[in-house]
Amino acid sequence: MSLFTLFGIFALFIILGIILLYKNQRLKEFNDRIASLNLSLEEMDEQAKLIMRTDMELNKAQEELDKKISGLDTLQRLSREISTTLEEQQIFKKINNQYVEELGFERSLAFLWKNLEREFHLYLSIGYTHDESLQIKTAVNANRDYFLGLIKNGSAISSEILPEGNLSKNTFNQLFLVHSFIICPVLAQEGDQGFIFVGTQNTEASITKGDQEFISILANQIGQTLDNARLFEKTWRSQQELEIKVEERTRQLTQALEEVKKISKRKSDFISSVSHEIRTPLTSIKGYAAILLASKLGNLPDEIKSRLEKINRHSDELVHMVNDLLDISRIESGKVVIKKEPLDLKAVAEKIDDLFSEQFKTKNITFGSDIPDDCREVLADHSQIDRVFINLVGNAFKFTPENGRIGINARRTGKIIQIDIKDSGFGIPEDTQESIFEEFFRVDNTINQEVKGTGLGLALVKHIIEAHQGKIWVKSKVGEGSTFSFTLNAV
Amino acid sequence: MNVGLGFSQLEDPILAANEAVGQALMELKKAPASLALIFTSVELAHPLTLRAANNLLGEIPILGCSSLGIMTNAGVFRHGFAVLVISLHEQTFFNVAAVKNIDRNNSLLSGKELGDKLLFGFKNIPRSLSIILSDKLITEGTRLINGLQESLGLSFPLIGAAASDNFENHKTYQYLNKEILSESCSGILFGGRFNFGFGIKHGWKALGKMRCVTASSGHVIQEIDGLPAVKLYEEYFAKNTRQLAKELRRISIYYPLGIYLPGEKEYLLRNIVSIREDGALVTQGDIPENSKIRLMISTEDSRLTAVVNACEEAKKNLGSQKAKFLLLFDSGARFFILGRQNDLELCVIKEVFGEKTPLIGIYTNGEQAPLKSINYLGKTYFHNQSIIIVAIGEQ
Repeated sequence: MSLFTLFGIFALFIILGIILLYKNQRLKEFNDRIASLNLSLEEMDEQAKLIMRTDMELNKAQEELDKKISGLDTLQRLSREISTTLEEQQIFKKINNQYVEELGFERSLAFLWKNLEREFHLYLSIGYTHDESLQIKTAVNANRDYFLGLIKNGSAISSEILPEGNLSKNTFNQLFLVHSFIICPVLAQEGDQGFIFVGTQNTEASITKGDQEFISILANQIGQTLDNARLFEKTWRSQQELEIKVEERTRQLTQALEEVKKISKRKSDFISSVSHEIRTPLTSIKGYAAILLASKLGNLPDEIKSRLEKINRHSDELVHMVNDLLDISRIESGKVVIKKEPLDLKAVAEKIDDLFSEQFKTKNITFGSDIPDDCREVLADHSQIDRVFINLVGNAFKFTPENGRIGINARRTGKIIQIDIKDSGFGIPEDTQESIFEEFFRVDNTINQEVKGTGLGLALVKHIIEAHQGKIWVKSKVGEGSTFSFTLNAV
Repeated sequence: MNVGLGFSQLEDPILAANEAVGQALMELKKAPASLALIFTSVELAHPLTLRAANNLLGEIPILGCSSLGIMTNAGVFRHGFAVLVISLHEQTFFNVAAVKNIDRNNSLLSGKELGDKLLFGFKNIPRSLSIILSDKLITEGTRLINGLQESLGLSFPLIGAAASDNFENHKTYQYLNKEILSESCSGILFGGRFNFGFGIKHGWKALGKMRCVTASSGHVIQEIDGLPAVKLYEEYFAKNTRQLAKELRRISIYYPLGIYLPGEKEYLLRNIVSIREDGALVTQGDIPENSKIRLMISTEDSRLTAVVNACEEAKKNLGSQKAKFLLLFDSGARFFILGRQNDLELCVIKEVFGEKTPLIGIYTNGEQAPLKSINYLGKTYFHNQSIIIVAIGEQ
């Protein structure tokens, strides 16, 4: 082996050594890198764990927040719907499965204790079959003392918070067929009280304090609404009773009015018939009296004559009275047709003046009239209104002492003309002013004993004015005179 | 194709059926009804309801199930009766069938039985889509699908949903014609002239180290990375088994397991149903041994983006065709997470497809569908926490 060969082998070893060293170095670097990557991976995995845990907490918080928002929203909508209900039965019908589910439950019951029957009545059942509901109702009534105690206590209980002395959670679960639940008393101020139950079969659901608060708010709302409904019911019943009473009274009054009308008609018919019957013999009496007074059957002694004159005068008065009665009866029964035509009041006043002028002179009575131009024309039945004026002015003349005054005035208010007939007579006592328009009424005083009258004149006047859709009234003071006023429609 | 949609919230089953079917038939106008899809809340799952619907619909095939919530164009409802009456093109073929009393220990056979029934009379007609509605209490859903696909073949997509109840895990109902069934699976097979598109997404993202399922059988994971499976959750959430069990539903819904599928962007989700005493995790759907898994996390935004993506995929599959109606299978877990904002997803769907496109949907307890509509590879998976949007186009 030559030196050159040896050198070559040596150089090869050196090169191989260098390569080996380089490879080792690279391997070490790779191992370091792998270790570093593993470390990073482990660290990232640890970070992943942190992320997972944080995310879980965030999700939980989010869920709880969502549950609260959803619960509040549901409560608000449910409360609004319940509070507008004024019927006890309807209050519980407003709670449907959607509301119950939104509150995080799928089963719900509501019981009210009925004092008379001594048992709990079921008002609401959601998430149960009919048979299950009946079974629970029986079980609740079997444990009535416990549930009455719960109502008396006034506090809510739940599967998470069961104070000592309560039935066991297991008993509740079996009774209500749920896994978790809340029972909250419904405390109305008046009437039946009870409790509301909500529950879920979800084995993973847990009842939070917030859930219990929500159900307590709902139970309070139901209690208040029950109070409102009962108050409303009470008020409504009172009103109904009142309405029935008013109706009954109205019926009685209507009956009485009908009776009065019937009697009045009978009276009118009677007066009419009697008046007709009286008028015929009266005419004969008057005729015979006139024949006798005219000495057609021979001269009569003065005493007999004066008696006959009295018969004649009284017969006239009787005829006058019978005519008035017949007129009143005709107007009352509607047999008289009021024929309204334009009527000149000034002319009427002048006519009255003419008619009474001689009589006025006998007592030295001053008569005057004031009919302004805008009051001159009224719509009225000529013959009937003449009678009104004659009656009223005649009365005024009768009750006005010598040297007195009688006047006719008129004034206009819109379409209405008011006519006043004023005298300076004796006046009418205040307590009798309302009665003077009644038939046969005469004020009981010395003047009336002296002044003759039938007591029908003013009644007739009132009927005539009312038949014209007018009104009549009197203002008077004893010793100062009277004013009779009536209204008529202007043209 | 014409469709009529009806919905009623009346409590009486007969009145609810009458109202909803009446509305649907009015909308359908005079077109002959070929098929009706009926979804109801649990309390309306009553023989009288179906009988009333059947009377009004005139003996046409009916398919449906119960659900904890119902979606229609009008919104999301916890209670109600929804019906979609479809008048199909004469060249569209379909067959409805059900398999009853599914053997929990051998659901593969039940799947095969249903497949055979659905194929009855199909002969050489090309098959397009199968939709099945099963009882949520069948935990062996994966095997049912396998059995079904053994019979129906893998050439077309199989989409399914598990009926649900009010989170009570008591009983769910499946409807076939006049019958109300439980522990059953009803389905429909479409063929002939039939165009559709679908999308399935969930929106959960992986977080933390990838783990390996070292021991599992069916839907039970015994070990993860050689440790009792529950340790994974104990470690991540700093809670012992008892504490985890108490909050299992929430934790499982928010943080499911995700199975890594090579080449896929989305993981396949699995909910934890329960924790066994030995620390094994019982999942909803199978997790094969040696599966690579990770814990999953989501945000409202990621979940809603997933809905948009599912819609877009279904729409893309329809091409230029307009959707005649939408069928939605949305996970009950998503309903739980959305809480009082449960109409958010519906708003997103309506935004993509238009306010007036008729839609009907339910909240499910497990979804079945291929991973994607485009580049369909023949395999149907059992999903959790996902939303399936099936858009049916003009025929």
